[in-house]
Amino acid sequence: MDNCQDIESTYDREACHLDELAALAREASLHLGNGSDRSVVALVQKSLELPSVAKLLRDAKQERLQNEVFIRIGSELSSRLALDELLPQIIDSLQDVVHYDAAGIFLVDSETGQIEGQVLRGYQVEALHQVRQKVGQGLMGAVIQSGAPLRVGDVEHDPRYINAREQTRSEMAVPLLSEGKVIGCFNLESDQKNAYTEHDQELLTTLASHAAIAIERVRFYREVIRKRQYEEELSLARQIQLSFLPRNVPKFRPYDFAGINFPSQAVGGDYYDYISLTDKDLGIAIGDVSGKGVGAALIMASFRASLRVECVHNFEIRDILARVNHFLCESTDTDKFVTAFYGVLDRETGRLTYGNAGHDPPVIIHIDNSVEKLDATGMVLGAFPESEYEVRIFDFRPGDTLLMYTDGVTEAMNSRHEVFGLDRLVAECVRNRDLDAGALVWKITREVRKFCSPEPVKDDLTLIALRLPDA
Amino acid sequence: MDLDFRKSNSVIIIELGGKIMGGSDSAKFFEHLETWLQEGFQRFVIDLGRVHWMNSSGLGILIRALKTIRERQGSLKLARLTQKIRDILTITKLMLVFRTYDTVEEAVHSFDKST
Repeated sequence: MDNCQDIESTYDREACHLDELAALAREASLHLGNGSDRSVVALVQKSLELPSVAKLLRDAKQERLQNEVFIRIGSELSSRLALDELLPQIIDSLQDVVHYDAAGIFLVDSETGQIEGQVLRGYQVEALHQVRQKVGQGLMGAVIQSGAPLRVGDVEHDPRYINAREQTRSEMAVPLLSEGKVIGCFNLESDQKNAYTEHDQELLTTLASHAAIAIERVRFYREVIRKRQYEEELSLARQIQLSFLPRNVPKFRPYDFAGINFPSQAVGGDYYDYISLTDKDLGIAIGDVSGKGVGAALIMASFRASLRVECVHNFEIRDILARVNHFLCESTDTDKFVTAFYGVLDRETGRLTYGNAGHDPPVIIHIDNSVEKLDATGMVLGAFPESEYEVRIFDFRPGDTLLMYTDGVTEAMNSRHEVFGLDRLVAECVRNRDLDAGALVWKITREVRKFCSPEPVKDDLTLIALRLPDA
Repeated sequence: MDLDFRKSNSVIIIELGGKIMGGSDSAKFFEHLETWLQEGFQRFVIDLGRVHWMNSSGLGILIRALKTIRERQGSLKLARLTQKIRDILTITKLMLVFRTYDTVEEAVHSFDKST
């Protein structure tokens, strides 16, 4: 405000100088009139006779004053980064440009018409409902609909007027426009009839354009911050989830095995694990939670925790799966479930004892390329609490390769809507018989990506290979 | 997901088509189901003949539908399963809990036999 007063006092001083200048000119003309150059006299007198000269100078100065106010407002607005700071700043700056007795700035969603932000001056708290009504209907409603400013000199005679203030006699509303779209509205009310001129409307429109830029800038900044926060949270979630997956392959001679997991989003619902039970027994698990993203990741975390707790306290696979199932039924929504395979491999006997809870059947590719599937022995987990799980065994023979996978591998789809399928998975395994398990899982993953290309792999993808070497 | 339905006596026949993927499909489906249950309907047939894709979230819809209907003492039958859906139900062992029929008519008549 100090700045504004400075400008006004400069203006007053200059107006005063103008009067002095006029007096001097008048005096000079009297001297010149004594036989001097008549044309100069005529010129000076003529200029003084022009009633518009002083007014022109005054108008020019007023314009300069307004420009300076706009520059100040513009620079103040550009320093605000939050809407709850910016809107009060705009409405208070407005008083320097056009007088009002009550005013409001409203931000609206152009599609839904919902008010997204507002700041008010000069209204009673009891009238807030009517003030908000003005945005949807009323004069402001008309301005928001049409995108054109509106001035009403006598509100009593305009049927669109909604009374939120007894004293109001005239009203002016101007849209806030951004890239041709209405993002809000300025509304000024005055206690005087015909308070607002066309010039006021122009001034308010100019201020509205400054304000719209500042508002959009704040919104953009807010979006950037939100996005960054979301990404940071997801990255944290991803780190947590990665810590759930095995970091190293445990040494379990003579078996060679490797696992790989790629979530399709930052976090996913696939899981695999190696759980050391005794010196000779290793638990191996693979699971797939229905759905994707954060929701699936949370269920995956619950599933992992319950499986690990049950594995430590219980060696009976049928009990482990039944208890995990019960826990998931109680803790997850009815339309969420987990498919899982859990087996215990005895390295001394080569016997894999397993239960398959509705998971895609792991496949064994024997040395003669014949294939065996380890089909489901019970229903998916987390759907029906009374489910029971049968336990079966498979005995490893030298040269056998066991592949455990989620449907991100076999259901991976290319642009012709073909799926990668179990046959291709088996064929890759046969073709790459010489690779060790680690190289094999990478090779198959690359083949799945190549198959889908140029489409990305859309589902979480997990693959474990377990080999008993031939010799 | 396309969703259409018709009423045959006391049976609601829900015809699903296209891709069943969960999310908004799920919301639409259960909004309808809740209305029918509140109207007192207890017998439901889901016709899956025109479904050409279903993911795990889509399967979640069928599971939740079965559980919701059972909780309200109702009964759900599935009809015209495509090979793809039959495979999914077999792999997941969910065939054990769903009653499936080759045609919608068979599914509808099965209610008369069971009562």
